[in-house]
Amino acid sequence: MFKSLLLKGRTLCIIVLCALSSMVVTAQTRITGKVIGSDDKQPVIGATVKIKGTNVGVVTDVNGAFAINANNGDVLVLSYIGYQSKSVTVTGPSLGTIVLAASNSTLNEVVVTGYQTQAKKDITGAVATVNITDAKKIPATSSEQLLQGQAAGVTVVNQGAPGSNSTVFIRGITNFGNTTPLYVVDGVQVGDMSRVNPTDIESISVLKDAGATAIYGISGGNGVIVVTTKKGKAGKTVLSYDAYYGSQVPPGGNVWHLMTPSQQSALAFAAQDGGSQQLYPGGAGTLPTYGYHGGSAFGAFGAAGVTNDAGITAAYNFDFLHPENDFLVQKFNQQGTDWFHTIFKTAPEQSHTITASGGSDKNTYLYSLQYLNQQGTLIETFEKRYQARVNNTYSALNNHVRFGESGYVYYRENNGGSPYNQQQEGGSISNTYREMPLIPQYDIKGNYGGAYDGPTGEPLGNGSNPFAQQERTKNDRAKSWNMQGTVFAEADIFKYFTVRTAFGGNAGNTFYYFTSYNPYENYEPHTNPNGYTEVAQYYYNYNWTNSIAYKETFGKHNVSVFAGYEIRQSGGQQLGVSANNFVTLDPNFLTVAATTLPTSIGLGANTYLYQPTGIESYFGRLDYSYADRYLLGATVRRDGFSIFYPGRQWGTFPSISLGWRISQEDFLKSVSWLQDLKLRGSYGSSGANGNITGTNAYDTYNYGFGNSAYGINGGLNSTTTGYAQTGIGNPKTSWETDKALNIGVDISLFNHLDLTVEWYKKTISGLLFPVPLPSTAGAASAPIVNSGDVQNKGVDIAAAYHGAVGSDFKFNIGANITAYKNKITKVPGDYFTVSNGTRIGSFVREQVGQPIGSFYGYETAGIYQNDADAHYDRANKLNTAGAAYSGAQAGAYIYKDLNGDGKIDANDRTFIGNPNPDFTYGVNLNASYKGFDFSMVLYGSYGNKDFNYVKYWTDTYGAFPGGKDIDLISKSANVVNGVVTNPGATQSAMTISQALGTTIPSTFYIESGSFLKCRVAQIGYNFDPGILKNIGVSKLHVYVQATNLFTITKYSGLDPELVPSVNNLNQGGTQPQQSASFGVDYGAYPNNQKTYLVGVNMSF
Amino acid sequence: MKKLNFKLIALGSIVFLATTYSCKKILDKSPTGVLSGATLANKAGVDGLLIGAYSLLDGYYQGQPGSAFASGISNWSWGGVGSDDSYKGSSTGDQRDEGLTAIEQHVSINPTDGYLGSKWQVCYVGIVRANNVIQEVPLVKDGSLSQAAADIDIAEAKFLRGVYHFELAKIWQNVPYVDETITYAAGNLNAPNPGPIWDKIEADFIAAMTKLPKTQPQAGRANYYAAEAFLAKAYMYDHQYDKALPLLTDCITNGTTASGAKYALEPYNNNFNALTKNGPESVFAAQMTVNDGSNGQNDNAGDVLNFPGGGTYSSCCGFYTPSYHLANAFKVDANGLPMFQIDATTGFPQYDVVNLGNDHGVGPTTAYTPTNEAVDSRLDWTVGRRGIPYLDWGLGGGEPWTRGDLVPYVPIKNVFYHSAQASTTDTQAGWAGSQGVANNYNIIRFADVLLWRAECYILGTATNLAAAEADVNTVRSRAKDPTGWVKTFVDSTDPSKGFTNTPAANYKVGLYTGQFTANGKPYALAALITERQLEFGMEGHRFFDLQRMDGRFGGPMPAGYMAGVMNAYYKADNRIANPTLGIAHFTAGRDEVYPIPQDQIDIEGGKLKQNTNY
Repeated sequence: MFKSLLLKGRTLCIIVLCALSSMVVTAQTRITGKVIGSDDKQPVIGATVKIKGTNVGVVTDVNGAFAINANNGDVLVLSYIGYQSKSVTVTGPSLGTIVLAASNSTLNEVVVTGYQTQAKKDITGAVATVNITDAKKIPATSSEQLLQGQAAGVTVVNQGAPGSNSTVFIRGITNFGNTTPLYVVDGVQVGDMSRVNPTDIESISVLKDAGATAIYGISGGNGVIVVTTKKGKAGKTVLSYDAYYGSQVPPGGNVWHLMTPSQQSALAFAAQDGGSQQLYPGGAGTLPTYGYHGGSAFGAFGAAGVTNDAGITAAYNFDFLHPENDFLVQKFNQQGTDWFHTIFKTAPEQSHTITASGGSDKNTYLYSLQYLNQQGTLIETFEKRYQARVNNTYSALNNHVRFGESGYVYYRENNGGSPYNQQQEGGSISNTYREMPLIPQYDIKGNYGGAYDGPTGEPLGNGSNPFAQQERTKNDRAKSWNMQGTVFAEADIFKYFTVRTAFGGNAGNTFYYFTSYNPYENYEPHTNPNGYTEVAQYYYNYNWTNSIAYKETFGKHNVSVFAGYEIRQSGGQQLGVSANNFVTLDPNFLTVAATTLPTSIGLGANTYLYQPTGIESYFGRLDYSYADRYLLGATVRRDGFSIFYPGRQWGTFPSISLGWRISQEDFLKSVSWLQDLKLRGSYGSSGANGNITGTNAYDTYNYGFGNSAYGINGGLNSTTTGYAQTGIGNPKTSWETDKALNIGVDISLFNHLDLTVEWYKKTISGLLFPVPLPSTAGAASAPIVNSGDVQNKGVDIAAAYHGAVGSDFKFNIGANITAYKNKITKVPGDYFTVSNGTRIGSFVREQVGQPIGSFYGYETAGIYQNDADAHYDRANKLNTAGAAYSGAQAGAYIYKDLNGDGKIDANDRTFIGNPNPDFTYGVNLNASYKGFDFSMVLYGSYGNKDFNYVKYWTDTYGAFPGGKDIDLISKSANVVNGVVTNPGATQSAMTISQALGTTIPSTFYIESGSFLKCRVAQIGYNFDPGILKNIGVSKLHVYVQATNLFTITKYSGLDPELVPSVNNLNQGGTQPQQSASFGVDYGAYPNNQKTYLVGVNMSF
Repeated sequence: MKKLNFKLIALGSIVFLATTYSCKKILDKSPTGVLSGATLANKAGVDGLLIGAYSLLDGYYQGQPGSAFASGISNWSWGGVGSDDSYKGSSTGDQRDEGLTAIEQHVSINPTDGYLGSKWQVCYVGIVRANNVIQEVPLVKDGSLSQAAADIDIAEAKFLRGVYHFELAKIWQNVPYVDETITYAAGNLNAPNPGPIWDKIEADFIAAMTKLPKTQPQAGRANYYAAEAFLAKAYMYDHQYDKALPLLTDCITNGTTASGAKYALEPYNNNFNALTKNGPESVFAAQMTVNDGSNGQNDNAGDVLNFPGGGTYSSCCGFYTPSYHLANAFKVDANGLPMFQIDATTGFPQYDVVNLGNDHGVGPTTAYTPTNEAVDSRLDWTVGRRGIPYLDWGLGGGEPWTRGDLVPYVPIKNVFYHSAQASTTDTQAGWAGSQGVANNYNIIRFADVLLWRAECYILGTATNLAAAEADVNTVRSRAKDPTGWVKTFVDSTDPSKGFTNTPAANYKVGLYTGQFTANGKPYALAALITERQLEFGMEGHRFFDLQRMDGRFGGPMPAGYMAGVMNAYYKADNRIANPTLGIAHFTAGRDEVYPIPQDQIDIEGGKLKQNTNY
């Protein structure tokens, strides 16, 4: 049950004022009583006790007790949020203990909105609350994961790497860059909520429409997620311990569906791949015993690179510092190395939180400590965190002045690296399918096996040993500490006013270092020197908010006015240095200064100043309600943002919202099964400023060794510094404007069912986007200008049902659906393409009329059955110039000739898939029977398409050698004398020939990315408090839990849920674009691995 | 209560006032980490911008779209792989989808080809940087820049602008000419490409010549003679031989390098050795440096793929493998002259009827002795062959040194010497990181000037075939001189013991003895074209030499000449059943130039027109 202190304070205040203003009533006796809750039998503190038909009322104290002057026969109405109101007729001076029945309705729940709180029934904007109890059941090292499937309108894409951020969109993707919502954690405006300890979280509200977000003005356009953490409660000190321990299990089996080495040997001959055939001197299906490579013994053993002669092992030579002297020998793995499972192991995770909280009616306190340690199933990945929170409130001067703070500090350690690093072809996961299974994990002397040891000319491929790659990060570390929190003071003045000042901020420091090794075992860079990099950074941001609130009731008119002034600033700095050529990479020795090659010390690439930013804001809000029936909310915010050029810095963001609680109308008041029916709508605007750099307004120049220095004096190694323009300025650029129309209805029925349905239209105009300039502009990056519009329309549905069968069995069902349709309505030049860093070119096109991130390419239509057909298109139109496309022949893909000109070329491309889901949905099931409780959280996504780029490597023979899909044997066309001999073949012929056109972006790569995941299934038991009392424990709940118990999907890769790639670069190739491209699989860190946990929640 | 209220109001007011007052500067934040234009309005700034413009001569810059090897100054892709000089090399799939295979085979060069976009971009970036110098000079008001210095700065900028436009014009012919009036602020960046721009390129070189000094304080700068040679080169491509001739003669008679050395031919391989760069033959070069703090951004990274892909020297990446056809061209007749005459039966040049002996298919474990056929001495400085010293690395490995697509030859001109590895190669980490070299790329070397003059003597209005033959013989005389030949190792298992005086192969180079005059203009021209093929093999010029000979753009040969040469090459190549060129075909009227990058056409919104038939 939700007993918000804030509400308590306010209620208290109002009631006291009411009481003061109604001292005129006479001749009454003092009536006392005590109120307890039906659920926990604890005193209900702050419950309202009001004499029916008057404004006379009091609130209960910390013991749940009240005293009020009333007459016999008066009816007292007792109410408190979370409980059903109760009427008691005064029959004597003491009413004894009154039990308030717990309510299943959420109507009176207090919801934290922008800068304020409101009762749910009074809210007119689109505000979704996360069912925090269910959300917290998911063991998360990054708290954004809690949001997935828990709030209608919020799309969350997670990945499996411990501690890595998730991609969060509120009401769909709204631009091509940063669509991250604003997070407000206890009043601190920050970019994420990843490190907030879930156990500490009291509530999460998601502000979705302009009615709710306009109060955040220029920062609110992508939606706002407001997080509040727990406060202490008046009463005795409660000590609690929440912990879980478990292990995560990677997927088993042949995850990439790869063939065995001997199958690959046969394939090399079937595909007439002369290069690879060198690997198998014994012929198709045979395998050699040893592979070798290197200089010194090359002459003695010849250049073949493979042999069955065990004598080769004697010539082995490994020279760490001089790889050119290596003569490496590996014994091939005849069964095939399961590379995936060399780097994915079952891994433990645990979290322990101790919380102490309590307080008096004046002061409260809460302290919590957390230790979190999640080892990744991908070896050498982990997230370790130590965290402490202190939330205190104090009141003084008869509770007219309140002050306090809430904040936390954490120390965090992991092995560094970008969380998105796996989503690219060089990631260690992608190397588990790119490295040939024939290659052993280790060579004959225990050094790493790799593609180097074999015939020259690369028949072992250009992949890297993924185990080596991962194990070499063993000593890499990123160590951070961070402090975040708010201090505030507020005071009530002139009866109706509350002034408040709050300073919230975030400051931290990260130091990270990593090594690069000579990858002697790989083919491509096996003579690289080793290297080491150290980087230190600090950053800060803060917001200081001063506000004044006014609240008064005039008869049936309720008025509340709120006004504020705020400043926000941010900045920071980074210093990085790297060098190479070290004699050892021993972490106990290594610093950059230890290089043996001082000229290799590079400063600069990692050193820079963060652009300082400043925002100055004025804002106000008016709420008015008449008779609890007609609701009006209006907000306006005026923001100035430093990054825009003077004259373009200030913007005003207004919104208005209206509500009509139809259920309060007289004609519905008597309908007992209808607790609430509210129709509401809002319209307004907010802004987004996340996609702009601090230099955008100015022409800028810079110098760089690699960019503008030149050896003008003709020497071998000295250059002269030169300058070059780096940026073209545009002083006209301003914020993105998000205009949103929202219509919603809230219904509460039968005291059991709550339903919210919302329809919205969000129009985003003036997208901050660098319109690509022709090359005639030079290399200076194009300025970001307001160009491009996007429109999202969608429906959010949330429903909750609370039921009970008998007194022992209770259940809750919560469900929500997030559906949006995204459409680009304007971009310069009608479309642009997004680079994905693949070997098959760009296949994401942002085009007017299409959703953001759409895949663009050819449509396949089967396989040419004989050479003659390849001169015709599907409509049997002859291409007189020859084959329908270069390489079209028997066994090649038929691509649809969409423009009917007889040939297949770039003009035949079309939109082949939309990575945006039709809808995502979450279902929470909870049930309890006596002491047992059961819960399950389901999350699903429907209708999204994934681009399975893994298939380029595993399912085409033209790609570099590596692991190959069994489908290449079972599904590929066999061509004999220009005719396909297995007409049912669905994949193009296995051939080394470079012209078959198998690797261009086409529907071949597109798969359904729909899925349903069982994120959590949990069974727990609550011990009887009566028994526990004897051992000094007030509550003990133990549970066992499985996450990702099942994933239902047709997707053939590891996990259909895909975070964006590190390769999503903008046109200038400089900035990763979070939103422009997603749903592309390079071998992502799977987020559907099963975890089995045991956990405990106990209080003393 | 009243007192309390007063206190609170006072407190609140102070807080509000303090906040408002302290926040005057909240929105006043300067951009960080960059220089403003005003910082550069002085001599040092202008000089720096000029260096920045020079710095793109290597053909790439950090952060460019696409890879360095797609745009490097050597033009190995367009000029070499795209011609009959070389194959793509490496494994079949490598760089295929990036577009290099299409360049090699000419059947389906897609205007979206990544190589096209990179080269186009880098050239225009160089042009814009040169324009930035011209734009900045008038902004200097602090008296630090004298008129004379300003004139030279502008002359060098115009020279560079000419060089970069020249690169574009060779590859695409019809390209926008961008001068300092074309800017973002002026809103005219969507520049059209109505046709060739040779007149504008010539004007820039003329302007540069008038102000450039004959010597410069640094070897890498353009001087008067570099501009003169470039102007002559532009006239050659513009087929204005009579205008080119006096310029070339002046260069030959009076020309000096920027350092003041008289132009002269030097031992052939000095042109491809970092330790002897900027010698008397280097008319104008892209300067390369290593270990300069740039982490491999100035070390001829354009050619970083073009090293053997296996063997003793095993590194990466086996690209740019010389063709059989190129190696065959070095075969000589009994007089030591090239055998370029067309064989009536096969339709191939006589040298191509039978391939020069090579180790194709021999396999790594079988012993192999190089052929004893007589060859031009330049062969083994141009083509790495099995059994012949590969610089000072040991005996070349032939086919086992290539990668994936098996051919018997590997590139050599861009390779560094083992003995000079420490001082002439880079050491940064990264993929193929240690293959950055300090070898310059000579954009024009003196042999070029001599052979252009020969060409003018053949094609100009006052034909002088004897003079042409004399210039050709000047170039051949150097190849004839045994001091510049590849020699055998003292001990081929230990190359560090040095070389003997014994030629590494059966080299035979003869001079022409009146054949030009005797056999007439067609013979002379064919001999000249072949001489260029031999002299500049694997230097990225071949495609453009064929192009400017073709009648399509006003060359002396009929239209379709280039297609004829290329298709004969593909046909000859198919005899060895190399599958890589099986479908290659060169289409006359289209493939003599490359397609304009599609994204530029798209961005320019109709102003930029695609080349014919693409």
